[in-house]
Amino acid sequence: MSEIRKIHDMLSSKQISCKELTEKYLTQIENSNKELNAYVNVTPDAALAQAEKVDKKLASGGEIGLLEGVPMTLKDNLSTKGIETTCCSKILTGYKPIYNASVWDKLESEGAVLLGKTNMDEFAMGSSCETSCFGGATNPFNTAHCAGGSSGGVASAVGANIAAYGLGSDTGGSIRQPASFCGIVGLKPTYGAVSRYGLIAYASSLDQIGPITKTVEDAAIVFDAISDYDPKDSTCQGRQGESTVDSVNNDIKGMKIGIAREYLEGVRDDVREAILNAVKVYESLGAEVVYFDMPAIKFALPVYYIIACAEASSNLGRYDGIRYGYKAEHYNGTHDMMCRTRSEGFGDEVKRRILLGTYVLSAGYYDAYYKKAQNLRGTIVKAFNDAFTKCDFVLAPTVPMTAFEMGHAVSDPVETYLTDICTVPVNIAGLPAVSVPCGFNEKGMPIGMQLIGNKFNESIILNAANAYEKAAPENFKTTKWGVKL
Amino acid sequence: MVTKEDIENIAILSKLFVAEDELDDLTKQMQEIVDFADAINNAPDSGEEFDNINNLSNVFREDEVVPSLPCEEILRNAPEQAEDHFLVRNHA
Repeated sequence: MSEIRKIHDMLSSKQISCKELTEKYLTQIENSNKELNAYVNVTPDAALAQAEKVDKKLASGGEIGLLEGVPMTLKDNLSTKGIETTCCSKILTGYKPIYNASVWDKLESEGAVLLGKTNMDEFAMGSSCETSCFGGATNPFNTAHCAGGSSGGVASAVGANIAAYGLGSDTGGSIRQPASFCGIVGLKPTYGAVSRYGLIAYASSLDQIGPITKTVEDAAIVFDAISDYDPKDSTCQGRQGESTVDSVNNDIKGMKIGIAREYLEGVRDDVREAILNAVKVYESLGAEVVYFDMPAIKFALPVYYIIACAEASSNLGRYDGIRYGYKAEHYNGTHDMMCRTRSEGFGDEVKRRILLGTYVLSAGYYDAYYKKAQNLRGTIVKAFNDAFTKCDFVLAPTVPMTAFEMGHAVSDPVETYLTDICTVPVNIAGLPAVSVPCGFNEKGMPIGMQLIGNKFNESIILNAANAYEKAAPENFKTTKWGVKL
Repeated sequence: MVTKEDIENIAILSKLFVAEDELDDLTKQMQEIVDFADAINNAPDSGEEFDNINNLSNVFREDEVVPSLPCEEILRNAPEQAEDHFLVRNHA
């Protein structure tokens, strides 16, 4: 059952007060965060103040909205007015935004209880959360493994039930991959469905904010709440169509599932087996399966890293020690001040990506790398357009493996980049995709699959994902941590 | 082939310092990353054009004056400030 609805019913029927509920979450955060490292900033005062407001409303006979009083978290790259927002980078230490991200404006106005900000790879650059200046978040299924990245803190917190849900951001898989690693649901919406205003930019043509939740219905509820037109983001069109939660329970009989063979190449055996089992579940529900080739996605990884790093090198130019964040103590001249500030403030992975981005944009390399990558981006977009003439959604693994052990990802940058092979094509083409748990490996670590839809077809993939969840509930396991309702 | 000089040059463009003892490792790492990026040169040139994801064109709002964020709030996050300005010293 939807976690959000469960909490809403408990609050509405006064089985528990919002203050008691919030205190339960705060206590569990205190008990478990040392081991999980999911939260980098807990905000108990603001959370309890909001909880009291909800209780007052209930006491005076008022009705509450579905998200009102539900304790949740935000990735630390989402701007929160007056609450420190660091992107888990030394260079933004102490930075308190003077405005809210539009998504937080929306949820705050719906009465959400913010428990705190969660851990992430520095500036969302990483696949294990370990490039965070606070160290990585661990996996609730086994803390010797990472939670994934870059939204590792949100996934760890939701997987460990020290938040009912959270918002992350996905540039190359940063919502879906940690959701897959932590055995929960992560939705990367269509580019332009959700406002990016107040999301601290990594790669602006790829970034998108979305929910990380325990159930598919929760993802639909949160997506509906945040997917609105916003004049502050010129690329934002908002959700196209009705609310997605109304159609999550539709029959999926006759739906066409596409499987691109390239997605199953190089995938570990246990992951492939879990995906093929999920296909069987869909067939038993009356869906049809079509197989085809999509050779263009073979080039998606280098295309992604070229475009993402090029955009990052420009976006991160703003950290100059003048307007906000860290500034070097000793310097000689303004150029020296900026170089020292940036060299002392950024971590190694961020520096590598800025350097690569600058390299591919510099004279002599621009045509060979950046221009060629943009050209291939068009090819990948076309390949998906062709695919959606044959099927309603594409089913693929979210990650070719399960969560790596802590420390494994940081040792080899290129090897780590390769793990993003299944997630990046979606960002390149601006499509929506939801990651759903679909099994466990022999060590009990979760495996995830993603359902990739055509632009603005969130309702189709959430409907299909929900049908799977109802047919295979054994893949949605709770962990030993956190609040028990 | 990525050379040490390339790294020094793009470091200047990126406003980053690369310490002498980091240069060898970083050059090697960048070579590996560039080799990985070179895979796109094996891709056929399809001639597909890419402009932006959802074929959006700019929508301009009416040119009306709206309040800006207050100066004092904007300056609150600055490491140094003076008289309603960001302060940049030449030496410190």
